[in-house]
Amino acid sequence: MAKKILVVDDSKTALMMEREILERRTTYQCVTASDGQEAVEKAQQEHPDLILMDVVMPRMNGFEACKMMRQQPGTREIPIVLVTTRGEESYMEAGFQSGCNDYITKPVNGTELIALLESYLGKA
Amino acid sequence: MNGDNSNAYGAKAAAAEPTNDVRLRTAHNRLLESSGQEDAIEAVREIVANFLGSEEMGLFRVDRRTKTFEAFWSFGIDLEEYDLLRTLGDVGLQRIMRGECHIEFGVRDQAGAMAKAQAFIPIRVGDQTIAVLAILRLLPQKAGFERSDMEIFKLLSQEAAKPLFGPTSHETTGREGSGIRV
Repeated sequence: MAKKILVVDDSKTALMMEREILERRTTYQCVTASDGQEAVEKAQQEHPDLILMDVVMPRMNGFEACKMMRQQPGTREIPIVLVTTRGEESYMEAGFQSGCNDYITKPVNGTELIALLESYLGKA
Repeated sequence: MNGDNSNAYGAKAAAAEPTNDVRLRTAHNRLLESSGQEDAIEAVREIVANFLGSEEMGLFRVDRRTKTFEAFWSFGIDLEEYDLLRTLGDVGLQRIMRGECHIEFGVRDQAGAMAKAQAFIPIRVGDQTIAVLAILRLLPQKAGFERSDMEIFKLLSQEAAKPLFGPTSHETTGREGSGIRV
């Protein structure tokens, strides 16, 4: 059964690209959300194997969504990879405190992204 | 593409090639599918931020009547305080009006980050430059412009005008040539 990834970004362009990378170059199944609040809801409904989530988003940002998912039994154990424009240590420390497992910086390189996802989900 | 003023492409270019096809296709589709000017501007912002690695950019439009560049839109910078002419000079502007990108690959600062990298992309309709997209600073993790970025520049140059300014954009903007003032 294909592993399922929830991709979260308010940018249509980022969503289109990440979705295309995953669908063309992996066997992972892809579902999407466009902000943190929708991500929390979709994570509860879809039970993804991993969440790939932008940080800066309207309504609820990636850190807040991450924290909320860590408090809920159904999503507590799902690996969360944050996608960020800011890779500074102090900034990502806040990401890890919110409960994320890993992060990748923009602009996203498809090969690096797949390698990172495979480290959590196994060979795509 | 004409006008590249350096051959110092990034070392990661080869590794980025498979990603680049996806980036180009995504950028092309995002521009084509944009619904109206506001969404087209957002598409350009997203393409620059997600694919080129910059969150400081501005769009200048050529005014046909006065033959000047006018600040049209910006993100991350205040275009009213930004002097395009002083940055590019007359020669640089003339090159842009001829359709050449002006790319400054920047220099590494003491922390290893690429400083002063910037790019100026002519937005074209046929053989006319109707606007200029200025990309003014790269994110710290972006180690300079890469070969694959040139293809995104080319795509923006050739395909952004219609979504941004509509199908009749060439009728309301200036003809290229001498006498460009800022």
